Amino acid sequence: MANEQKFFLPYILLKLQARHKLPQSNKSTGFRFMLYRTNARSLLVTVAIISWSLLLANVLLSAETMRQPGAVKLALPYVDNILTVIFILSVFFYQRLSTENLKGIDFIGYLWNLFSKAGIAAYLSIALILGYRMITSYANLQSPLLLHIVYQVNFGLLVLFLAKAFYIWQKLLLYHKNRFLQIAWDWYELLLFSTLLLTLLNFNYTSYVFLPLLALLGFYTLFLCTNLKWVAFLTFNKKSRSLVLIGAILVSCYIFIRFFHQFADSPDLVIDYSDVAFLLLAMLFVGLYTLAAFLVSLFSLPTSSVFEQKSEDLLNFQRLSQSIQQGQSEPQVYNMLFESTIRASDASAAWFELYKGTDPQVSHLLTIKNEQIERIRHLLMAYNIQNIDYINNNLDRNPGFRDLTLPWKSLIILPIKSKQHQFGVLYLLKDIEQGFDRETVNVLRTFTNQTILTIENLRLVAESLQNERYKEELKIASTVQENLIPKTFPSDSWFEISTHSKAAKEVGGDFYDFLQLSESRIAIIIGDVSGKGISAAFHMAQMKGIFHGLMQQDMAPSEFMKQANSALSRCLEKTSFITSALYIIDYRMKGFMFARAGHCHTLYYNAMMEDTFYFQTEGLGLGIIRDKSYNNHVREMYYDYNPGDVMVIYTDGIVEARNDKSDEYGEDRLRYMLTQTYHLEAEDIKCAIINDLEDFTGTGSLYDDQTLLVIKFKATQPNE
Amino acid sequence: MSMKITHEIKESTIIITLDGELDASSSVILDEELSDPEIMKYSKILVDCKNLHYISSAGLGVFISHLQRFEDAQIKLIFFNMQDKVRNVFEILGLDLLMTIVSNYEEALTIADE
Repeated sequence: MANEQKFFLPYILLKLQARHKLPQSNKSTGFRFMLYRTNARSLLVTVAIISWSLLLANVLLSAETMRQPGAVKLALPYVDNILTVIFILSVFFYQRLSTENLKGIDFIGYLWNLFSKAGIAAYLSIALILGYRMITSYANLQSPLLLHIVYQVNFGLLVLFLAKAFYIWQKLLLYHKNRFLQIAWDWYELLLFSTLLLTLLNFNYTSYVFLPLLALLGFYTLFLCTNLKWVAFLTFNKKSRSLVLIGAILVSCYIFIRFFHQFADSPDLVIDYSDVAFLLLAMLFVGLYTLAAFLVSLFSLPTSSVFEQKSEDLLNFQRLSQSIQQGQSEPQVYNMLFESTIRASDASAAWFELYKGTDPQVSHLLTIKNEQIERIRHLLMAYNIQNIDYINNNLDRNPGFRDLTLPWKSLIILPIKSKQHQFGVLYLLKDIEQGFDRETVNVLRTFTNQTILTIENLRLVAESLQNERYKEELKIASTVQENLIPKTFPSDSWFEISTHSKAAKEVGGDFYDFLQLSESRIAIIIGDVSGKGISAAFHMAQMKGIFHGLMQQDMAPSEFMKQANSALSRCLEKTSFITSALYIIDYRMKGFMFARAGHCHTLYYNAMMEDTFYFQTEGLGLGIIRDKSYNNHVREMYYDYNPGDVMVIYTDGIVEARNDKSDEYGEDRLRYMLTQTYHLEAEDIKCAIINDLEDFTGTGSLYDDQTLLVIKFKATQPNE
Repeated sequence: MSMKITHEIKESTIIITLDGELDASSSVILDEELSDPEIMKYSKILVDCKNLHYISSAGLGVFISHLQRFEDAQIKLIFFNMQDKVRNVFEILGLDLLMTIVSNYEEALTIADE
């Protein structure tokens, strides 16, 4: 006895330690805990077996003593009580440790576990009693020892049953628990175990002192038994199966109660376990909870189909709304709609028309013939209600439908359409009158609305993917175009050049380029294609090709313009034209030759005369006149430059840049800027102009591409 | 700022009044107007540019694209009351040599009747 106490106490300590450790559980403590659990379990089993055997021995001993009135009373009642308490505690704690947590909502598996492991105990005990009765009546002998053994075994089975049932019901009771319920349960468990003290101290619980307390505990139990949330999650089938299992468990309870009630206060026995208040209360809880579960399952059986339907609807909504993430296609969404609505409304026939373009095509059919659809559709067309929300819950009352002699009595038409699109129409038929009540219609509408949303979202996703691709391609075009514009000009000591270019969109229509014609001659071209965007960018690339192609032959600027016009006439669309200016600078001759084709006038600073002016030359844009008569519209000019002269070449995006008052930057302001900055380096002149331009326009978005080239001729000549 | 295009018919003359800015979007409307086969019934098209504040290359492109067609049909296209700023755009591009641009309505009528 003392030995067991020693075993037992360290266990409690260990358990307390484990509880403290658990919250900060890392891998090793978790592992240690598991190890400790296995150890604790085998320890508990040993304690249970030993205490039970000792109890049996003690009981038999006292029974023997009782039979021989003369003998000395060896057994002590306290020993019985202590052993009982130890046995009960060890069995309950073992179950407490080994009952698994609920996984998912497999309640049937749980109930089966309860029945197969605990319920069977009751049937074993029945077999035992019957066996005992048969032996005693057959041999016709009264054996108190045998009776005590049977009683003792039944006690063991009862405790096993109660412990198992207690903790399995606990798990189910605490399903979807809240904090309050958890606390309530913890207190209940504590109070229940504290009643063992009554047994330990050999108090009679039926005394007036303890009865009210026990009654209160009974009410507490009653309150706990109202927590049966798990029953709602059982489907109709599962409920009927669980009814059988719970029924069997209920019978087990009854068997035990009957057995121990029968032997209560029996003069043949030295020990009476019905005096143990703990067992009574545990049995009260198990019995009441089983009964409650049974009754709740039984009475919720008729309504379970409604809950099943609702939860299925919910699941279907979920599936519909998740179909975008799962990358499902439109036909799959329509399949889902068709199946879900039929199930939600319990329709007996249905069909779905899909709109491809403007013609409806029957894509889904359920127990209806094409010929019947055709007839119904004709009738609807005659009433002009084929594409609108329409419910007829009594088709027979309508003469038109009556003439069709259809086997259905209710019809609902649900168009699947958004503000912009008509996706399809769903027709549902039922063979009863008033088939589509308001509740059903609401559910159906929710389904169709969700479908519309899903389809539209699917299309939006596809569209945005497409846009993303376009953007990506535009980015590539922009990179390609950037590469078409030279980054570096040949740097020479006789002139310096600085460039600026900024496109209004990803791709622009402005361009400039150069070509070294010979050692002393360089050709510089600037141009602007009418319009913006991709088409302008294409024409710009074309112009670059023409420039490089024609200038290989080293021709005069006016000749270049004529030939370029002729080439562009064949490929430029009617409303497009290109303005351009070509300069051929010859530093050996200290002069440049240029022609202007509708391009902005060249701004020039003459260092000798200290004068700033625009070259006023004639010249028609390219692609405006597309025949030989263009040749009369282009002029060429030759100009001798002086060191210190500055030439400013630009596109109309510079002079036509506007501020928020719609004023243009203008040629005058540009010229003024040059009069103020001509003495600077080309790079500084450019920066000054651009800064001034940005001051003028503010930091709004660009309306047109801007290109600016500043060329400054210098005094020092190379190779001289 | 958008474009308002109105027209007035006097016998064989159609007077088109442009009010606003002729940019990429409004030039589409002008193109529709000029593409109308009805317009070929008139021998003179006078374009009043008094309230034309701005013309973009797209707007110019519209006139350019119809220029040849009107010339072939011997329809006179005359611009008048043009603001300096807009006229400058025409001149830079060299269109003043191809198109008839006069200072006022009377002048436009005299030239049209030649």
